Amino acid sequence: MDIALIIQMIIAAVAGTFIYTIIGIAPGTDETAVLAPVTLVLVLTGLEPIVILTFFIAAIIAKKLTDSIPVAVAGIPGGVMAAPMVEHALVLKKHGKSDLSIRKMASGSVIGTIVAVPLSLLLANALIPFSDVIQTYTNQILFGGAIILALMSRNRWIALASIVPFAILIQGLRYLYWGVGVVPEGTNVFISFFLGITIGPVILTLFELLNKDKRKAMNRYGTKTITLNKDNRYKGIPNPFKILTKQELSISTLSSFFGSILFILSPVGITILLGELVSSRVKDPVKKSSLAISSMDALTNASYIAGTLIPLIALGIPLSPVAIGPANALFNAPPVFTLEHNMHHILSNADFVWAVAIGAIVAIVITYFIIVKYAQQICTFVFKWVPHEAMLGLFFGLVLLLAYMDGGLVNIGGVLLIGLVAGFMHRLGINYGVQFMVLYAAPWIVTQLASLS
Amino acid sequence: MREKNQVTKEDNIEVWADLVNIRHLVFALVLTSAFTLGAYFIAPNEEPKPLYFGLIGSLIGFIISSMVIKPKRKFKTVENGEA
Repeated sequence: MDIALIIQMIIAAVAGTFIYTIIGIAPGTDETAVLAPVTLVLVLTGLEPIVILTFFIAAIIAKKLTDSIPVAVAGIPGGVMAAPMVEHALVLKKHGKSDLSIRKMASGSVIGTIVAVPLSLLLANALIPFSDVIQTYTNQILFGGAIILALMSRNRWIALASIVPFAILIQGLRYLYWGVGVVPEGTNVFISFFLGITIGPVILTLFELLNKDKRKAMNRYGTKTITLNKDNRYKGIPNPFKILTKQELSISTLSSFFGSILFILSPVGITILLGELVSSRVKDPVKKSSLAISSMDALTNASYIAGTLIPLIALGIPLSPVAIGPANALFNAPPVFTLEHNMHHILSNADFVWAVAIGAIVAIVITYFIIVKYAQQICTFVFKWVPHEAMLGLFFGLVLLLAYMDGGLVNIGGVLLIGLVAGFMHRLGINYGVQFMVLYAAPWIVTQLASLS
Repeated sequence: MREKNQVTKEDNIEVWADLVNIRHLVFALVLTSAFTLGAYFIAPNEEPKPLYFGLIGSLIGFIISSMVIKPKRKFKTVENGEA
């Protein structure tokens, strides 16, 4: 490991931390939507894989540390995964303890990271002996994954019914591109389709705005009122082992452990389950809520890290909701990474340890201290100065750019089409996980169907 | 422009879990897309420069939109413990 590379990794970690500290706080940011495009772009720029992994680890840790902060300060989730915490955070806010709630959450996140990093490395190495078998059946596993995710979702039958039609839409576009020659035959357009699915709900809403009747019928609002508590700043150097009580520490550790082992399940699902388990056992509302939020934050953090690292180190196939969503670019970002040639194949075990260690330490040191001390100021800044319109504009611009790079003007139309369909499917209750799995399994599904007839 | 486009009427809609004004949204989408693609096309034609230019363009669009558009959020500060 030479010094120049380590310096690059540290710079990447610092950049990831700062960018995602801000993005984490902005309300309504979906993890996949904010992490996947930026990571994809970095991969395409041809940076060293180890630097990108460092960036990604710092980014997810910073994002997970910060996205629960607006929950505590204003009762608005900073991301999908923070949503289950709103209820408990509001209890603390009502008792005038949003500052306590921030410290508990951030400390829970730190515990989650400390538990998940070594545990993921261990679990990944335990899985390596089976990786050959698993890799031979990649296509079948991805297809099975789509079915399992569909069955586990709340609207299972519609999700199941959508698999084949959606696969046909994806393959139909790919064959069209080969036919008209905008993409060389055999090259699967992937990145921009992935992003089309991600911002599908927004694309659908944008199209609806073009319909006069729909536009008139939309609910109108004034401004969103955000209530902030008077500032009370934490004095001294924050230490998670002092901020959390013994009970909170042990439950956080335990839930991080389960969050890591159950990396293949949906993090939001396990978090909700855990929240209910914990809250049914403690009576005092303040104690109950601080226990719930600290352990939930520990768990989401742990399941994020494990969900990224275990499939990446052991298999090289994105077999977890996190890997198939936000971390997707680490597995598949043609032409730089493909399922046959990605970080799994390029990086050594020592590389993984270095990248994760630098990313995690930089993110925790910067974000944890800043957050515990300045949560309220940061929140106010982001809420006051970053309009939602600008965020949507940024993502839309990135999607257009990557769509054009993937397949020219034709593909901009193609990505809008995918976005429309995916957004509609989303509204019908078909979650991202199923749609992403279908994107992966589409070539196999269509070939199998064709050979059957 | 921050003062000029003060939103007083109830004409914001909800897109992706936060409020936006349709005109402002269109402005941000068009501006950021134009800057992104514009920068991509004027970049020297050697990899990966177009991508870098595009990214910088998108950031410029983002920053201009953030400066021009006022977030649809209002603040209320209370003593600790009040709902």
